[in-house]
Amino acid sequence: MSRIPSTIIVHGGAGDIPESRVPLKIAGVKRAVRAGFTRLALNGNVLDAVEAAINVMELDAAFNAGYGSVLTSKGEVEQDALIIKGSDLNAGAVGEIKHLLHPISLARVVLEKTPHTFIVGSGAEEIALEQGMTLVSNESLIAPPAREALQSYLNNEAAGTNELGNEKGTVGAVAINEKGEIAAATSTGGITGKLPGRIGDTPIIGGGTFCNDSICGASATGLGEAIMRANLTSRIAHLIENGTPASTAISAGLQFMTDKIPEADGGVIAITKTGEVGFQFNSHRMSWAYVQNNELHYGIEHGEDNIEPL
Amino acid sequence: MESEPVIVIHGGAWAIPDSLVASSLAGVQAAAQAGWKILSSGGSAVDAVEATIVVLENDPTFDAGTGSVLTTDGTVEMDAIIMEGENLNLGAVACLGNVKNPIRVARLVMEKTDHTLLVGQGALEFAKEIGVPTISTESLATPAGWAELERFKTYNKAVRGNFSERQGYGKLSGHDTVGCVALDKRGLLACGTSTGGITGKRCGRVGDSPLVGCGAYADKTAGAVSCTGHGESISKVCLARRILENCEQGIESEEAIQHGLSFMRRRVGNAGGAVCIDRKGNPGIGFNTARMAWAAIVRNKATSGINPGDMICFSE
Repeated sequence: MSRIPSTIIVHGGAGDIPESRVPLKIAGVKRAVRAGFTRLALNGNVLDAVEAAINVMELDAAFNAGYGSVLTSKGEVEQDALIIKGSDLNAGAVGEIKHLLHPISLARVVLEKTPHTFIVGSGAEEIALEQGMTLVSNESLIAPPAREALQSYLNNEAAGTNELGNEKGTVGAVAINEKGEIAAATSTGGITGKLPGRIGDTPIIGGGTFCNDSICGASATGLGEAIMRANLTSRIAHLIENGTPASTAISAGLQFMTDKIPEADGGVIAITKTGEVGFQFNSHRMSWAYVQNNELHYGIEHGEDNIEPL
Repeated sequence: MESEPVIVIHGGAWAIPDSLVASSLAGVQAAAQAGWKILSSGGSAVDAVEATIVVLENDPTFDAGTGSVLTTDGTVEMDAIIMEGENLNLGAVACLGNVKNPIRVARLVMEKTDHTLLVGQGALEFAKEIGVPTISTESLATPAGWAELERFKTYNKAVRGNFSERQGYGKLSGHDTVGCVALDKRGLLACGTSTGGITGKRCGRVGDSPLVGCGAYADKTAGAVSCTGHGESISKVCLARRILENCEQGIESEEAIQHGLSFMRRRVGNAGGAVCIDRKGNPGIGFNTARMAWAAIVRNKATSGINPGDMICFSE
């Protein structure tokens, strides 16, 4: 019986990432996956691993999560996140988080310390306070590129177009340990100019994030509404469950989504129950990186797979 | 090409007490009649789903709209979703207070925004901006709801800050989520679900109902489904999608529901119910709780039930 290799994969978002942001994204996903793998190698705890990887990206202004999150139509940060444990399908999701740098960590509290799976708004932040987490001002989560993106969106809106911001930088991570335990997590600031209270695919189990030890873990990025309508990761998981290889299943899922909703594009990362890694995107670019068998793989362009020793 | 219209609705799967049996049955029958009126005269599945759920939301018997249970703070926070199976358009709201019919706001999210889910204060602001009248919490809550909250608090000795596993959720709180699936004469499918959630929930708690793929889903290549039961469990197994995955493979509604519920029980240990119309237009109901109030109308034949095995006819 073949051993399952300890593996972690991350993405830093799929979309029309401009050339100028490419080096930042690559550096960021590499740093995140290394941080996640360090935790995984330490104690094999897959929840620790995905949380650590996502925390790195939440701190990094290059990504649309935590600091650097895009802004609502009212100029504020509102974040969503979800973390799922594949062994018992236990999940913790948060939405509309305005005063935390690490919404994924609050999602983990929801998973581990409450009987619920999804809590939003001030109700969720109350839990953060009760847990002794540090609340921050909304202002402190706003990075200059997010402000610029909102301004550009508002200018276009005024001109009558409906551009919702084309760099959808949701971040995600999936990890598996040698016992075959899987965790998946996703964190996001959403889309530029969204209505206050808008929730996308990220915190929806089977939408932007999926995890079941008997099948796979997966995290998606792209236009949230389209991913929700297509129920993307659930669809992909069903194909994998029926024997389709990971990357093929992801391509099929993305194709279904784009066939139904032509303006949608995105990407997905996944690890199956045997440790098979899959990643695909049909947007311009998607930053990703994974560690398996002492190698770090990463890329951002179609067809790219750069390898360096760990 | 004309299709045979179908409507199936539920008023919640849980241990419905004897005292609520008559009103639950009457309620689901009245709601089915409202939806059927639209379908039989050529109206759309989406219109039928909305109208049916409005009737259930206005009926204080059910934990949706008027009659919603209360949060731990004594407020009402409602969740709802509506979805159509042709283009997978959907609209949903969660933790929305102070409106009479959250299903109407969910439909407005679908039709008047580029979004699919709005929550909390943002959802309420949107409702106000688009002209939905707001109402007081008092007009949504019922004496039964207040009594239930009191019982819950006494049972759990709820202390601010204590959010460890609440014993009472399984025993005291009902699972009165209401839902509907419909197939219209043009062959279009739609589904909807609406709920006030669970007694004593934390503010901001979202159950399965408004979550696409969990509490409801519609896709013409599979079918339409609306679920009810233990919200967190339904979310963890993406119950609506799981039921429809069976339908995609040609399994008929009722069997598909049974597969889904068995999986949920095995995997995460809780119970629920669902109503479904598969892609061939077959209606189905199923539940593994003690009771589920349901009603179905197809080919001018109207049936309903509440106990396992019931087949109570009524006039459509």
